[in-house]
Amino acid sequence: MQTTVNVRSEKTNVSLWRKPISGIIKIVLLLYATITLYPLYWLIISAFKSNQEFFNRPYAWPQHWQIDNIIRAWDLGNMGRALLNSTIVTIAALALTIVLGMLAAYVLSRFPFRFSGVVKGMFLLGMLIPIHSTLVPLFIFMNKIGMLNTYWSLILPYTAFELPIAVFLGLAYLTSIPREVEEAAMIDGNGWWGIFGRIIFPLSLPIVATITILAFLRFWNDFSFALVFINSQALKTLPLSLSLFSDGFGTDYSLTMGAMFIAVIPTIVIYLIFQEQIMKGMVAGSVKG
Amino acid sequence: MPASLRSRSFVIMALLPALLIFILFAIVPIFWSAYYGFFDWKGLGAAKFVGINNYRLMLEDPIFWRALKNNLILVASAIVGQVPIALLLSLLLLKNTMFNRLMRSAVFLPMVLSTVVVGLIWGYIYHPQIGLLNQLLETLGLESWSRPWLSDPKINMLAVSIPINWANIGPYLIIFIAALQNISSEIDDAAKIDGAVGWRKLFSVTLPMIWGTVVVTIVLCISGSLKAFDHVIVMTGGGPAQSTELLATYMYNNTFTVYRYGYGSAVSTMIIIISAMLIGLNYILTKRRG
Repeated sequence: MQTTVNVRSEKTNVSLWRKPISGIIKIVLLLYATITLYPLYWLIISAFKSNQEFFNRPYAWPQHWQIDNIIRAWDLGNMGRALLNSTIVTIAALALTIVLGMLAAYVLSRFPFRFSGVVKGMFLLGMLIPIHSTLVPLFIFMNKIGMLNTYWSLILPYTAFELPIAVFLGLAYLTSIPREVEEAAMIDGNGWWGIFGRIIFPLSLPIVATITILAFLRFWNDFSFALVFINSQALKTLPLSLSLFSDGFGTDYSLTMGAMFIAVIPTIVIYLIFQEQIMKGMVAGSVKG
Repeated sequence: MPASLRSRSFVIMALLPALLIFILFAIVPIFWSAYYGFFDWKGLGAAKFVGINNYRLMLEDPIFWRALKNNLILVASAIVGQVPIALLLSLLLLKNTMFNRLMRSAVFLPMVLSTVVVGLIWGYIYHPQIGLLNQLLETLGLESWSRPWLSDPKINMLAVSIPINWANIGPYLIIFIAALQNISSEIDDAAKIDGAVGWRKLFSVTLPMIWGTVVVTIVLCISGSLKAFDHVIVMTGGGPAQSTELLATYMYNNTFTVYRYGYGSAVSTMIIIISAMLIGLNYILTKRRG
């Protein structure tokens, strides 16, 4: 009897303290989140201001929301072209990464052959290669074979550096799919290609989704490969155009803000839709890489 | 027999394209850069074999050492910045409530932004005349604190490290939350029975339980810092007077602004050697732990 009373009084004591403390913690957390999001908020409000307003009232909400900057950025800075280039390169590299990565993962998960250990080890090694250390040799190589300033100069390196993550995520997923499913299909007279296309690939769609989201963010945001391999105005991707934008229109800050707005909107929309997968997938990728 | 032949041809045909692209564009370049590192080559004309001369020049160049030091500053700022902040946040955001989920999303968001956007925004924040930071200090009456954040060599590496930390806290937060949620409820109960609550529980139960994860995140900070390149190229280009040069920007500037392809290749190889040493160190450390 006595003990229960004691426990109860202790509990109320703790909860009395806990309320204000958890309130303070919540306020501190909100403050931290505000600081984290502020640069992005500032980018968005600045994109809708005139240059004069940008200088005079940098923190304030725009007096008149004007989309002039965004329209000018689209026309002057060739942002439309850059958006198209980024889309082409990203989609092509995504298709290659997914199809080739899943095929490789399927082979490595189902067919024990002599060199499978070596192949796995090599892909593992691929996750450890510092990407920037390959810029110079790849530049020399592409220069020799005339690949610089083509979409392929981005598509192929993107695919090469994303394949290890795709293969390992795919491999881990496929080992969990029971083989009976394929044996049944085998009896129905499907070849390996048919089994892959009709059964394995559709079954792996959840992991394909994760790979797609991760690869999309990497390809869409890549700066260093585009910086080194692309020179021609017509082929510049979004991040590359943005970096040159700030040089070209030095003091026209709200114009650059407009251009950045165009570039961040697709990633933010995708983040808002797929945040859970992005968080988990990126952690899996970074821990392995 | 024909069935096994068919599966052999499938193995080859299905694996070959991925392997070819991967080997040609990710593995082979390492050997090329090792090879070109022994030449003096301007990109045009004949390459001249110079043995290990490029490496000697590199080790004699004070800028190389400054770049290495700047990489280490980034590592240090990540270890004292990202890891503790992420750990603290993970303890506070552990429960899966609506509020906590929103907070996690907010902290993670900068991670998905293009590094160019991050670099440009922070370039404006640090801008000496129009920058938000100096204007904020002015509003607060702290004009004397305002300075050209990215061009003052005393503080510009610190200034550069803040956006990098800002953009990268998210993954560490998620890693720590996963580790904390893995601590079984039995251990929690045992701690409660033994009277370990609050700070005592944190230091004698929780932290030791996730110490392995802390080590992993420190290793990630080190390897992440070697990958730093984009933010610096966008914010400072390695300047002024090469004061914010990193190993990767040092390699880039030597190759593509002064066209020393051989030398740039030698620096690339050095980056690979340093990474390999770090990976080896990491392997030894984790093995000893296990």
